[in-house]
Parts: sequence; structure tokens; C-alpha cells
Amino acid sequence: MRRGKWISWHRTACIAVSLAAFTMPLFAQYHPKDTEWPTYAADLAGTRYRPLDQINASNFNDLEVAWRIKTDSFGNRPEYKLEGTPLMVNGVLYATAGTRRAAVAIDAETGEFLWVHGEHEGARGAAAPRQLSGRGLAYWSDGKEERIFYITPGYRLVCLNAKTGVPVPTFGENGIVDLKLNDDQDIFPDLTTGEIGIHATPIVAKDTVIVGAAFREGFTPVSYRNNKGYVRGFDVRTGKRLWIFHTIPKKGEFGYDTWLNGSAEYTGNTGVWTQITVDEELGLVYLPVESPTGDFYGGHRPGNDLFGESLVCVDLKTGERKWHFQLVHHPLWDMDISSAPILADITVNGQNIKAVAQPSKQGFLYVFDRVTGKPVWPIEERPVEKGSVPGEWYSPTQPFPTKPPAYSRNGVSIDELIDFTPELRKQAESIVSRYHLGPIFTPPVESKPEGPLATLGLGTADGGTNWPGGSYDPETHIAYLFACNSCLEPVGLVRPPKGFSDMNFVYGTAGQEVRMISAAGTNSSADAPKPVKKAKTDEWLSLNVEGLALIKPPYGTISAISLDKGEIVWQIAHGETPDLVRNHPALKGLQIPRTGQQTWNVGTLVTKTLVIAGDGQVTTTASHPRGAMLRAYDKATGKEVGAVYMPAPESGSPMTYMLNGKQYIVIAVSGGTYSGEYIAYTLPSD
Amino acid sequence: MKIRLGLSVAAFLWFGVLASLAQESTPSDTRSVWDGVYTSEQSQRGQSAYADTCQSCHGDTLKGAGEAPALSGPAFLNNWSGLPLGDLYERIRRSMPQDNPARATRLQKIDILAYILSFNKFPAGKTELPHQPELLKQIRFEATRSDANK
Repeated sequence: MRRGKWISWHRTACIAVSLAAFTMPLFAQYHPKDTEWPTYAADLAGTRYRPLDQINASNFNDLEVAWRIKTDSFGNRPEYKLEGTPLMVNGVLYATAGTRRAAVAIDAETGEFLWVHGEHEGARGAAAPRQLSGRGLAYWSDGKEERIFYITPGYRLVCLNAKTGVPVPTFGENGIVDLKLNDDQDIFPDLTTGEIGIHATPIVAKDTVIVGAAFREGFTPVSYRNNKGYVRGFDVRTGKRLWIFHTIPKKGEFGYDTWLNGSAEYTGNTGVWTQITVDEELGLVYLPVESPTGDFYGGHRPGNDLFGESLVCVDLKTGERKWHFQLVHHPLWDMDISSAPILADITVNGQNIKAVAQPSKQGFLYVFDRVTGKPVWPIEERPVEKGSVPGEWYSPTQPFPTKPPAYSRNGVSIDELIDFTPELRKQAESIVSRYHLGPIFTPPVESKPEGPLATLGLGTADGGTNWPGGSYDPETHIAYLFACNSCLEPVGLVRPPKGFSDMNFVYGTAGQEVRMISAAGTNSSADAPKPVKKAKTDEWLSLNVEGLALIKPPYGTISAISLDKGEIVWQIAHGETPDLVRNHPALKGLQIPRTGQQTWNVGTLVTKTLVIAGDGQVTTTASHPRGAMLRAYDKATGKEVGAVYMPAPESGSPMTYMLNGKQYIVIAVSGGTYSGEYIAYTLPSD
Repeated sequence: MKIRLGLSVAAFLWFGVLASLAQESTPSDTRSVWDGVYTSEQSQRGQSAYADTCQSCHGDTLKGAGEAPALSGPAFLNNWSGLPLGDLYERIRRSMPQDNPARATRLQKIDILAYILSFNKFPAGKTELPHQPELLKQIRFEATRSDANK
């Protein structure tokens, strides 16, 4: 690691900050203001809400670019997947950026850089399971001192002076806590290459910094043994570890016996890779936990596997478990809880409830009393299909919320297939005839050349709501959730070739060469075992019909859900109809309503009157050149009331703030040929 | 973080060159990916290179996995349709594989591009995809076959 790299930059940066200090207002005791955006999701409740209304339905189309920041130079190559949501406090915008995952401070009015900090982590950074710029950072102040926290790709918690960008020497070791240490486990095989990291932001609540953990994709684990994704709290001043929560219980702890045959000892993953939510007043933390090792095969971890795919509430001061609810028993569908729980004070049948609402990949919005963990509306255990993969353990039942209804598709049937024309439907039926179909919780199958090749799933790995999460209006008690309504995942299981993995089964397709989906370069060295060649299937396994999605529109939606009533208030297709659909020769002459877009990167922003979200794909239409649109909807009705042009799709969720009398919206865009860029929009001054 | 001014200037100039190439690369008589712009042999070489270099993230059916985007299907076709094929190549050349873009050679990346075209059912032809950026810029990526190309 080369710590000296940034020193010269800081000398320069400090000068810039000193100059800027003359023009920036001195701040008194810090109190989060609703004109600022002090945490990733606007607040610790995960609402992505600000009650601002200078930008509204009457003027949204007038928005113009206030400033823009390309992130290419924050790393040794450009990034095309900029996922951050910046913070804005006291007139300064903070963000992570670039392939270096640099922390940057920017004048929120002009876009001028104030400072930059980057860590050169060498082999440790290169081996990180979660690379690129991440989702952002966290801010803390006691009214005198201001600090910025972020986590490097190599899994080190960095504490910076928010005014200068210089590491705080009294925090950890010269401003850094090595998160691969002091984790109640020895990270295997070593600190440099040991698999653990994160790209979510740390969360600061009161004087505690909370950190989760992430791993490589779990489709084809190299082993059923892996490092575990515990959650820890650290002292915001010193970096001292305050508590740890074992997401896989240790022997003697609650839940250990849900891992049969002692499988809690060796199973890993089960981290919290997405955003964490906190109720500071109640002193409670809400942890959305991911899948245990092996996204689609759990034969090595028989049992329900707590706290895999569970929402867990722990004490902010101690990390002690208060309650939990497992959304999926014995996870087999990659239904990681993928986004921030949303805190909502609601009124149900005249009763006030402090609730927590959890969006999901499977399109259910799970709503609980956040003090007791009791479901607000009954969640029923219902029998589900038992699979037949050798060695697998199946839960006979799974939890089904009775309210609200599912807001996106979570199963595949013939009725869901493309139906623009009878011919296209026929082709789709022919394709799916080789697959196993069914409703939510239809288990994966062992892939066979004669069929089924796989179970076709919706609402699994990439479906529903993913890491961008939802929004919530605390005045109307309505949640707004983008969902991918057409993100298909075929899940077939195959026995891995000898030497590839000690798992009994991994994700794959019969007749296709098995390759690890773990990290670029795995098994590519001269010493790696040669892959087993199998007979190729007669054609490549395309799940498209003449380039069109196998599943019919709407491809992506935004739903407004009343948490007082448990009902969907409105649902719209979000995103311009793709060029491929509008220009497809097979669809000529058809009148097709807006389809929305197949993507899972879209996050929403809610203001006093609007729901705002960008397109997730580029289009070229008569009204705009190749690009994507940032759209505003009337939050009461879902009617589109304005749209402004972006050069590339939304790749990080938008945020907003007021500064010197003007409202700004900042959004991360990137993808395809367009490298990462933060763009700030505001209304014209004239 | 140390500022490398010289490199930054060079990168800025290079972006300028790319931008100007992009603007200049759409003459009306350009070929499209429907015109048999690669050979079967090239895509087979590309398949092997893809398996070694790309498959671990993008999967065996090019549908992507987790954080790695799809290289086939509607979202992929929509995102690249209408652009010069050279733009897709430049993206691969500069940034892939993500952990070390130097791990595949320039020519291997051309072959991988041929494999991606093949997987997406664009027809093979008698000449290989050229490796010169200026020639790749003259091939348009079109998601659907236009009437003129039928």
C-alpha cells in the first residue's frame, strides 16, 4: 500500500480549502436540516425524501445543468458503473468516485473541487470482491469537528477530516481501521487476498460507525466454506470496536441450531452488503442480511440457516439482537435482502405504529412493527414445492405477506410471456418448454440436456427492488418503489468438474462448460485444472425472442404503496419504451403503450410533490437525441409531469438539496460508452 | 493522490480524438453488424478467449451475473444500438476485464467482440472484424436489421 501518494495532493487541496473557507458560512452546532442530504438515503430512516418544492411540476422541464463532474481521473482507468449518491452538508458535497474509490469534496454550488483522498492498496485492492467507486460515504459532526467515513475496496474504514480530506490521526491507526482484523474470525487465506469487502456506505448513528460486509457473487462458490459477513459498530472518535453481531451464530448463540450438522461452523457469506437503517430515538439498528454460501445450492448447510435472508433488529449501543424475521427459510433463490429497510410511522385501522418496511427482490414489501418485530399484516407460512436436487435440504413452507400485494412479478407462467403477436408468443413458449416454470419459491433444478435446463425465475437474483432501494413520504405514508418486472434468472445446477469446487452443485447449464462465476481470472492460471469439456447443446441458450424480452411489459415499474392501508395506490411503467421495441420490424404497426425498461439500477427520490427517477437505458426518440431522461411524476397520481435529458442512464440514485436559495438535484450517470459523471441540475436564474 | 498532469492532459487529448472520431464515423454507406462483419473462425477464437477472460463475471450465456451487465439480450442491444461498433470495442479495450484490462490482448478483444456478435445472432461473413479502430468505427451496431440491409 502506498500511503504517500496523496500527500502532495493534500498540500494543494488544503490551500484550496483555506481559500474556500473565506466564502463558506461558519457552521454552529450541527443539526441535520431537511434542506441538506447528510446520509446516503437522506436520513437514517432510509426515506430518500426531502420536503423541497422549488423544483416542481410547473418547472421541471426548465432544469439546466448547474455543474458536472467526470470521474475518469479518480483511478487509473475510467469507471462505467458510477453508483454513488453524494451527501451535502454545509454547502459541501461529498462523494466517492472512480476506479480508485476516491473520496471527494466539492463546492455544492459551483462543482469546484475542494479536496480528494485516495488509497493505493496494491494487491489487496486488486483482489477485492467489490471494486469500483461504491455507493458513497458517511458524515459525522459533534458541532465542532466534522468527519467523513468511507470503506476502501480493500475493506479498510477510513476517517477523514471533512474540511481538509486529511486522515484523522487519532482514529484507528493514522485514520484507518483494518476491517479484516478484529472480526471474530481469521480472514482466509490471508489479509491481502482474503475474500471480504463492501461497496455500500458505512452508517453513522449517534457516535457509532456501523459496517457490514460483502463477498463475490455466490453463483459458483469455490467452496462451501467461506469467510463470514459479521456486522460491527465502531466508536466514531477512536475507531475502537464497540460491538459485533454474528450473522451466522456462534455455538451457544441464538439460531446456531438452525444450521444442522454443525454447518454454522464452516458456512460463510451471510453479510449485510447493502444499506443499513437506524432509529436513533429507539436506539435500534435494522440489518438486511444476504444469502449464506451458495446462492442456489444449500445442501452443505441444511436447516433454516439463521440469519440468512433475515431482517434483524439489534441494539445500537451493544449490537445485541432484539428481534428478527427470516423472509426466506433455507435460502435457495439469491433473495438477498438487497436494500435499506424504510422506517415509517404509520396509522393502520386507527392505530399508530412505528413500522419498518422492507422492499425485496421478490416484490414483497414486508412491513413490521419496528419495536416488536411483529408483522403489521399477517405473514403466513404456506407450503411450497419441494425440489429434487440430490443432497439438497428443503424448507416445506415459506413466509407469504398477505398485505400489501406483490408489487412486481415473482414467478414465471406462460401468461407472463411476450404477447405482442401470436408468433412471438409461440416462439417464447417453445423456448420455455425446456425450462421448469412456477410461482415464487419454485426450487432450482438439476440441469439436464433433455430438460429442464433450469428453473426460470423472476424476483430472484436481479428482480424487484435491488440495492438502490425505495423512497418514502413521511407525510402521506406512501412508499415509492422501482422494480425490475422482467429480470429473468434461469437457475440450473450442475456438478462442478473435479478441482473446481468442493460444492456438490453449482450454478450452470447442462451441456455447457462449467466456469466459476467468482472473480475475473479464477482458474485461468497454468496450474489450474483444465475445464471438463462437455458436448455443446445444439444452440446457444438465448432467453430472448428476436432480441425482445421473453417476458411481456411492463419491464420496469414504479409503485406507490400506502403503508396505512397496505395497498398499491398506483403503478406505472418507468422508462421510455426501448428503441428495440419501438423500431422492431415484427412490431410494425402495433400501438404499444410505454413499456418501461428492464434494469435494476434505478433508485427514486421523493420531494414535496414529485417522485423523481432516471431512465435505466438509453433511447433515441424524436424528442431527444441518444440519451436517457430524468423523469418527474406527480407523487399523488403517478402522472409524468416533466423530463430532462441526461447523456447516459441513471446508475446511482438521485439526491436533492437547497443552497443559497436554489434547489439542486444531483445524479450519477454512466454506462455503455459513457464513463461516470455526477450531474447537478437546477432551475435557471433568469 | 498524486496528480499526474502530463497523463491527464494526454487523456484529455485522447478523449478529444475519440469524440471527434465518434462524430465523423457515421457516413451513410457504412456497414452494419448485419452485413457479415466477422468470421465463424474468429468467433470461435473469441469464444475461447471469452471463457478465459470474461465468463467468470458475465456468465456462460452472456446474460451477466450480479454486478456484471448482460452482453446479450434486450438491455445490451438497446444500450449499444445505433453506435459504431468501434465504441463497443473501445469500451472493452479500455476497461475489460475489470481487474486487469491488460490481461487480454487487443486482438483477443477483437475476437471476443466477434463472439459477442455471434452469440447475439448477427450473421458471420467471409472477412474478419478489423482491428483498426478507424475501420471498426465504420461498422454500425444495429439491434434490428434495417430494410436496407435485408
